[in-house]
Amino acid sequence: MELKKEQLINLYTLMVRTRKLDELTIKGLQEGKVLAFYHSGQGSEALAVGAIAFLRPDDYAWGHHRGHGIGYLLAKGADGKEFLAEHYGKATGSCLGVSGFHYADPELGVLGAAGTIGSVFPISLGWGLAAKKNKRQQVMVSVFGDGGSNRGTLHEAFNLSSVWKLPIVWICDNNGMAQFMPIKDAYAREDIADLAAGYDMPGVVVDGMDVLAVQEAVQAAVARARAGDGPSLVEAKTIRYRSHSEGSPDVVHNQPRSEEKIEAWKKRDPIESFKAKLLEQGMLTEADVDKINQEADAEMAEIEKFCTDSPPPDVSVLEKLLYAE
Amino acid sequence: MKQTIYLMAIREALDEEMERDEKVFIIGENVQQGTFGTTSTLVQKFGPERVMDTPLAETAVAGAAVGAAMAGFRPVADMMFADFMYIAGDEIMIKAAKWHFLHGGKVSVPLVLMAAMGGGMKIGAEHSMCPESIIMHTAGLKLAIPSTPYDAKGLLKTAIRDNNPVVFFYHKGLLGVPGEIPEEEYLVPFGQADVKREGSDVTVVATSRMVHLSLAVAEELKDKVSVEVIDPRTLEPLDIDTIIASVKKTGRVVVADEDNRRCGVTSEIGMQIMEKGFDYLDAPVQRVAAADLPIASGFMEEHILPQPKDIVAAIEAVAT
Ligand SMILES: Cc1ncc(C[n+]2csc(CCOP(=O)(O)OP(=O)(O)O)c2C)c(N)n1
Repeated sequence: MELKKEQLINLYTLMVRTRKLDELTIKGLQEGKVLAFYHSGQGSEALAVGAIAFLRPDDYAWGHHRGHGIGYLLAKGADGKEFLAEHYGKATGSCLGVSGFHYADPELGVLGAAGTIGSVFPISLGWGLAAKKNKRQQVMVSVFGDGGSNRGTLHEAFNLSSVWKLPIVWICDNNGMAQFMPIKDAYAREDIADLAAGYDMPGVVVDGMDVLAVQEAVQAAVARARAGDGPSLVEAKTIRYRSHSEGSPDVVHNQPRSEEKIEAWKKRDPIESFKAKLLEQGMLTEADVDKINQEADAEMAEIEKFCTDSPPPDVSVLEKLLYAE
Repeated sequence: MKQTIYLMAIREALDEEMERDEKVFIIGENVQQGTFGTTSTLVQKFGPERVMDTPLAETAVAGAAVGAAMAGFRPVADMMFADFMYIAGDEIMIKAAKWHFLHGGKVSVPLVLMAAMGGGMKIGAEHSMCPESIIMHTAGLKLAIPSTPYDAKGLLKTAIRDNNPVVFFYHKGLLGVPGEIPEEEYLVPFGQADVKREGSDVTVVATSRMVHLSLAVAEELKDKVSVEVIDPRTLEPLDIDTIIASVKKTGRVVVADEDNRRCGVTSEIGMQIMEKGFDYLDAPVQRVAAADLPIASGFMEEHILPQPKDIVAAIEAVAT
């Protein structure tokens, strides 16, 4: 799909906002305002934005736990205020301040977020099944990490999604690490996309630092799903810039992660490299870049103020939330 | 009223609810044939898209039900043996149970997880469990355990219409139990215990198959003690008020359930009676439950599962 200028600028803007909201969340944690924990998503913005930005409003999306889904949520149209307010434990948070770091907005097709890695597979299967039963050509985009791919739940869900030809796009964010465990010691092959063949679905590998490459691969899989041809697997090679979670050691097993490797990847930073490309093509000027940054900074200031000013939840919500009416 | 049996009552509930609401569908292993007959023949009427046979994949069955429920459907997932629900622990106890709460009430998970529980068939530790206490313990799950065809049909219909996850345990040993049900539609509300037999000396709070054993024992002892048998019918919500009202009358109580004794359903109900009815008690609460061992098979089963003689002994212990 040939993208128009405003679509390209939108992708860039979403990535900038994603990075800044990630930084703001880390700041909140350092200041003791973010109450739970945070798993920074810096380095995987191109994947998050490229995978989600072109979905329909009624498509379902399950963002990755990396970055607590920020990029995926913003690209789906979610509000950064509710995202951070939830992390602040405030009543205005996405889940009324009871979840700490999860997000749900059924109207955006974001039905929930999980704490158990690998639970994405069976639940996404159900969302994909609902999408098929609805007969409205909706798709389900479901993102997981290389660590998550080691769970047995993957097999049951991949297999059934293919047998039932469900409109699901499985996306693997392969940043090479699952907490302190490198994928090379957890998986026998090089590419997770190879698994797809065993389930009779297409499996492709893309450069997860390149938003256009991600966008193109995911859109092809989305088109296939909408046409009723079933699921696909897209594996994006990315990197995690920071440690597994803020404050945890950045190690492989128990040895420090290679700084050089991270620096080498950072030279291909998804935001910087996309900006350079757009500047070169004349799609974007330095003045546009400044404006996008300023607007994002203003948005972040507003989000931060909103979160600070919001009240904590009333304890009475707890009993009320146990059961639906 | 018409005569039926427990498993047919379950099938009728499914049939009527699928007829009433096209969002209801059944998903599970071999449900088109039906391992226990509870879902049999429905595929002929509703087709394979609404009576969905799945591969052997419990995690996927439960997960797909949770996902579809969140997206507006009303799945009834048949987990076959209740024991197999442990395989889908994340999907059942973390996702179905907590996701309405966890997400600030923005999503709900209206599904039924039904499964056959219980012993009596001598088929051992991995096919005979009554994992009631683990479900009752898990905040966010409702739990219905009918003992009669009337309750089975009425509770299952209520379960399907509930906007929350409901676990519906039917007992393998009760599938052929006869009973009467109305010709016309009816529902059995959750949280309303049923006094299955009135009595004045001893209250027996019994669940599922234990209701039948307790009724038989009560009949056998009728010349010596007058036994009241109460079936809570749902364990969450639990109708403790009806139980306490009975204890107030009799002053003596036995709690009988087929789950393991330790931290089991009997411990919970017994403790609630302590908290809310201690002043009415004339004797310590007695409980009858499975031994704290895996359910042995073959000849050994009866030494693990609660037997009528255990109920008799418990009644005698409180009555004297
Ligand atoms: C079932 C489960 N096991 C372990 C964890 C702890 N945990 C949280 S994130 C994580 C690493 C996940 O790795 P991956 O899927 O590759 O995603 P990444 O963090 O690399 O983005 C682990 C081990 C968990 N949350 N859930």
